[in-house]
Amino acid sequence: MKNEKAMRIIEKALRQGRKTLSEYESKQVLAAYDIPVTREVLVKDKTGLDKAIKKIGFPLVMKGCSADIAHKTEKGLIHVDIRTSTEAKKAFREIMAGMEGFEGGVLMQEMIKGRRELVMGLTRDPQFGPCVMFGLGGIFTEILQDISFRHAPLEARDAREMMQEIRGHKILDAVRGMEAADKQRLTGMLINIGRIGLEIPEVSEIDLNPVILSGANPVVVDALVILKQP
Amino acid sequence: MSGNPGKIKSNKKTRYPATDYEKIFHPRTVAVIGVSAEEGGTGFGTGMLKSMTAMGYEGKIYPVNPKGGRISGMEIFRRVEDIPEKIDFAVIAVAARHVPEALEACRKKGAAGAEILSSGFGELGTEEGKALEKQIQEAAARGIRVIGPNCFGIYCPASGLTMLPGPDLSRISGSVAFLSQSGGISIDLAHAGNYLGIRFSKVVSFGNGADLRESELLHYLADDPETKVISMYIEGIKDGNAFFTAIKNAAAKKPVIVFKGGLSVAGQRSVASHTASMGGSRIIWQSILKQAGAVQVHDPEELAQVILAFSLLPKKTFKSISVIGGGGAIGVTACDTAEDYGIEVPPLPAGIQDRIANHLPRPGSSAINPVDVANPYVSPQNLKEVLLAAAEDQRIELQILDSLLYHYQPLARMFGQRITAITPYKELTRAVRDAVDQTGKPVIAVLPNPKRGPEDMDITELIALTRQEYIKLGIPVFDELHDAIRAIAHINNYYGGRKK
Repeated sequence: MKNEKAMRIIEKALRQGRKTLSEYESKQVLAAYDIPVTREVLVKDKTGLDKAIKKIGFPLVMKGCSADIAHKTEKGLIHVDIRTSTEAKKAFREIMAGMEGFEGGVLMQEMIKGRRELVMGLTRDPQFGPCVMFGLGGIFTEILQDISFRHAPLEARDAREMMQEIRGHKILDAVRGMEAADKQRLTGMLINIGRIGLEIPEVSEIDLNPVILSGANPVVVDALVILKQP
Repeated sequence: MSGNPGKIKSNKKTRYPATDYEKIFHPRTVAVIGVSAEEGGTGFGTGMLKSMTAMGYEGKIYPVNPKGGRISGMEIFRRVEDIPEKIDFAVIAVAARHVPEALEACRKKGAAGAEILSSGFGELGTEEGKALEKQIQEAAARGIRVIGPNCFGIYCPASGLTMLPGPDLSRISGSVAFLSQSGGISIDLAHAGNYLGIRFSKVVSFGNGADLRESELLHYLADDPETKVISMYIEGIKDGNAFFTAIKNAAAKKPVIVFKGGLSVAGQRSVASHTASMGGSRIIWQSILKQAGAVQVHDPEELAQVILAFSLLPKKTFKSISVIGGGGAIGVTACDTAEDYGIEVPPLPAGIQDRIANHLPRPGSSAINPVDVANPYVSPQNLKEVLLAAAEDQRIELQILDSLLYHYQPLARMFGQRITAITPYKELTRAVRDAVDQTGKPVIAVLPNPKRGPEDMDITELIALTRQEYIKLGIPVFDELHDAIRAIAHINNYYGGRKK
């Protein structure tokens, strides 16, 4: 059975002829599948800034948010560690100016603190269909390619094994004063990414990078859902 | 969707009987369609007929060729329809365009299945080839199961069915099944198995796999009482989900060893032209096989070694082993390799070391584990005592005996005798078997041979004879210590993982 909330978002994007969901939309789809994401508010107009600040609280991360924009970092559309409303207003102006007329807004989200970054995702293999990916996140995803896959649907054991399978699996243990990651929650996230793949054929790929461990708790900080080309 | 007969669309609404695998693998009557009518023909049909005869196939063979005549003393029938009784199985080796018609005739003659050796179908990539393959599928859907086309067929030692060109494969049956798109790998493994001691239940080379192929055959083998170990070579698969379900189901019941080819970019190009299927991504395949609980191997040698280990060793893990052999470095590298694969080579308790030392020459030997026997001429009786003593350590679950038999060559030449005459290889193999029986702990024999030149053929012969003796006694033999340890690691992963 398809998740109605997720489907509303996806169908709207498809009607608009879009190939991707914005970060904000992507996270709503994830949240509809009980995948923990950053608390965030999408602000399209500077009058909404104060309300958003009040809701999320400092420090904040502010990001340009549009389905049409990739490579936000390179374009200067991400401002981190915003601590005052003056800083927030300045960041808002700069981001909106940098959006080059694309439709969207500014995503105001809680700043997740954590030194351990993971990656999760969904890919569709031409032979096996939906496969869930797990690995080291951030820049290490590309450099080390320390990742593992499992075919959906995943059993809890599959999720546990795929976490154990990466070379850097000790990153999930209690290391250097950091807590051990909440593996049960990670397991649930991986299983549910697989469910999205099985239940929503319109989703062709999911890329969650980074998923930051905030203490023991994994939180999806950036997310991209790619839709199937009609 | 050839993997599931229920999904094949057919014009007629008929209920087909379940696949009669018994008739396919153990047929009593076989038609060979496409033998040469002329003496001295070398076509696939003639080759198969002669191979089956050479193998001593006990059933009735009916050769077919429109020209009639005689072959190998048998009457050639002009048409399948002329065969005087119902047939169980057919070998089809006529030109591609005549195959659908021949297949239909076999079905009407009662055949439960047919292997199509002919090529010229989907693998060509042409419209004509694809259309002919589709016709095969349609005929199959009417009630005859097809192996092939573009394949080497079925080898079943129990019934005498053999693959092409296999007039000299073993008739000793065993517990290992092998499935492969590739006929070349199938026949290579069938021959290698013969000298390595791998005994097969059935080997199926299914080529293009127009009808019966990996998933359905995996389901069959998972419940086949004749098969205890399933092995396969895969280039591409037809239906990922069906395959995943089938292999997971099979691997939960018995070991499934998979050699997946075509994982490199160049390999994928060649797969497309070889068996008309897609190779797939390396990391996805690795993950899928692991998730299914299958054992992945990476080359034909490893495939054979791992099959051998699974088929001859008890169904359990071997976390702690003893290594007994000559030479300190061999022992050191054995420890290194074992550690890489998560296997322990623990030092034996002092009491056991003392007992072992009593049976070894001094100085120069070491009884710690690895046990260094110091000199290659230690008698089989003493080696047996060493095996018996080491097995008394409760931790030891398996023993490896590495024998440097080639050192008997200088001795033989010094006394002007044949190496096979002075080397006590029969006594050695018997002593090892006795040690296994007395201790209940398996032994793997390793027979390295660094001297393989033409001037050392006597050693090659000695090693082959020793291997043969070991195999008769059910002891697995490996060329190299590393191969043996890697095979044990695969067993540990299988029985220590999902099968817990």
